[in-house]
Amino acid sequence: MADVMNDISPDVIEAAVKRVLSTLNGGNGGSSAAYAAPSSSGKLDAKTDYPLAKKRPDLVKSATGLPIDEITVDKVVAGKLAFDDIRIRPETLEYQAQIAESGGRPHVSSNLRRAAELTRIPDTRVLEMYVALRPYRSTKAELMAMADELENKYQAKICAKFVREAAQVYEKRGRLKEA
Amino acid sequence: MAKRQKRFEVLAERPINKDGFIKEWVDVGLVAMESPNDPKPSIKIENGIVVELDGKRRDDFDMIDFSIADYCIDKRVAEEAMAIDSLKFARMLVDINVPRKELVRLSVGMTPAKLVAVLRELNVVELMMAMQKMRSRKPPMNQAHVTNVKDCAPLLAADAAEAGYRGFAEIETTVGIARYAPMNALALLVGGQVGRPGTLSQCAVEEAAELNMGMRGFTAYAETVSVYGTEQVFIDGDDTPWSKFFLASAYASRGLKMRYTSGTGSEVLMGYAERKSMLYLEIRCIMVTKGAGVQGLQNGSISCIGVPGAVPAGIRAVLAENLATVLLDLEVASGNDQTFTHSIERNTARMLMQFLPGTDFIFSGYAAEPNYDNMFAGSTHDVDDYDDYLVLQRDLQVDGGLKPVTEEGVIAVRNKAARALQAVFEELGLPTITDDEVERATYAHGSKDMGDRNVNEDLRAIDDFMKRGSTGLDVVRALAKRGFPDVAASVLEMQKAKVAGDYLQTSAVFDENFNVISAINHPNDYEGPGTGYRLSGERWEMLKNIPRAIDASQI
Repeated sequence: MADVMNDISPDVIEAAVKRVLSTLNGGNGGSSAAYAAPSSSGKLDAKTDYPLAKKRPDLVKSATGLPIDEITVDKVVAGKLAFDDIRIRPETLEYQAQIAESGGRPHVSSNLRRAAELTRIPDTRVLEMYVALRPYRSTKAELMAMADELENKYQAKICAKFVREAAQVYEKRGRLKEA
Repeated sequence: MAKRQKRFEVLAERPINKDGFIKEWVDVGLVAMESPNDPKPSIKIENGIVVELDGKRRDDFDMIDFSIADYCIDKRVAEEAMAIDSLKFARMLVDINVPRKELVRLSVGMTPAKLVAVLRELNVVELMMAMQKMRSRKPPMNQAHVTNVKDCAPLLAADAAEAGYRGFAEIETTVGIARYAPMNALALLVGGQVGRPGTLSQCAVEEAAELNMGMRGFTAYAETVSVYGTEQVFIDGDDTPWSKFFLASAYASRGLKMRYTSGTGSEVLMGYAERKSMLYLEIRCIMVTKGAGVQGLQNGSISCIGVPGAVPAGIRAVLAENLATVLLDLEVASGNDQTFTHSIERNTARMLMQFLPGTDFIFSGYAAEPNYDNMFAGSTHDVDDYDDYLVLQRDLQVDGGLKPVTEEGVIAVRNKAARALQAVFEELGLPTITDDEVERATYAHGSKDMGDRNVNEDLRAIDDFMKRGSTGLDVVRALAKRGFPDVAASVLEMQKAKVAGDYLQTSAVFDENFNVISAINHPNDYEGPGTGYRLSGERWEMLKNIPRAIDASQI
């Protein structure tokens, strides 16, 4: 992550932080706590809300809270956008999960909900976690510690449960690293 | 024989007789669709948990059984689906009065052995009929490979542009030398957007490296995330279903489209087929994919095509695995890539199985370069087959995803792509692309028409480029500064696609105006003649008009 931040000016970072804060405070519409609820069921619908970029641009913001319409070539050229300004945010993945669900695809929804949790984890750590789940890479204790990290540090409850389950299965099937 | 019969002498020299064939050999899994060791369909569910799957008790489950039982199978419909007679379900697949939706609903209640039992009832024409109905996205499309043996970036950009211009919805590269990956990805990103805005590009390399490039915004999707049908082969592939599920979520968490890859024959090649049929093992892969919540799968044997290709009904099994994928409501990129035969007839016949009904991506790699430059071990069709392919579309009135083009048009997009990449390289401090390279790439047939780049200098620059933390935004900035505002805008749209996430949905691609076209907003609604995707109107006018057709009014 440090590398990624190299060519970004302090102004850009400050602006991004402000946008994030305003989103967290609910001052920027569509707060992260309460996913905007447009339909009667309180969930987005594949028929009326998809594609989000065209039908619900009001809901689509980047990880830093920047509305998608404000991501322009001019701003890129002027150095006013950081890479986090073109990252997806967890709310959007939740919306897409709702759309998949209303379109009859609950399996896809589950994946998108795990993904929403992973948005909070830096790139390098996500890559490390993937490698740790490969066969014979981790002891059971290491996987359990990773699950705790997911749950406590990143509020990734679904992923934490998933990793604990992996630890059980790896143990049963003899795919753990020798302790 | 002392004296040869002359016809047999001629036949012996035919290309087909250079192909390899083998009789069924169950002990090593060299059997297409039916092994005596394939389990009998069964399921037992207690308190919402699958406790028996295809005759195996939960205590004996391997990793693949667990992931299928706990993540793929819908316990609410399992008993209903399993109770349907396999022959009856096979008939429902080809019955225009049974809608796709109903079959999809029941499909997730079935076990691997049950799905195999259903597929065994269908001949290839019935498999095609079912494919026409079950494909999830309404319009069929196509994917190209864009590679060359020299990893020559300006040529990759020009080939990517031509591929996009000819109509490929997705383009995929890989490398000769692993460290070239980011540069190849960059060439496809820029070239693809020149050829047709909205073209999705990927770079198939080692899993973690591939994800890293996607995170940086150099690729728009990934596909080479392999899954296997036996636990030992999965482990030998250095993954588990859990690591692969996690990887799937990691891609989506960065807004990147992703599909898995599998295919009949991989377990045989890797030596652990457990004496099961290739189709049975492949169905397990498809169900792992479904369980992961991944939107799609590349299958159709892919790099193992020589294995099913050598046994009886192997090519039928390949179509059956494609069908199982769409039956489980997944996007399918249906193979037709790696070369498997010396015979042109056989090559075309194998391709028609997906071309006629239409799939989400008929090829999951048509070679957009001459085959000597195809780094995926060659493809069934390459640049020299473009006109044959266009005529097949015209003869049969079938949309295979490509469109007729003019030589002038191709020259223009190839040249623009090479120039755009030249500008990007200069702005980003990558080794110069010379005017001579631009000119050669514009007019090249393949890498034999290109000079040699300084490989060491390229590789050092790529490492440095990645260390600096460069991203897709740097590419946008470079293009805008150097007089390519339209390409800059398209590359930025590809980045914005990851913010909106619309193309994470099943079977999603973009049109040239960045409208997403997926199974959500363009669902396949085939219900017999007069319904579903019909090649007609403007699109048919375009595909009819191959440049060489004589216009009587002009004589």
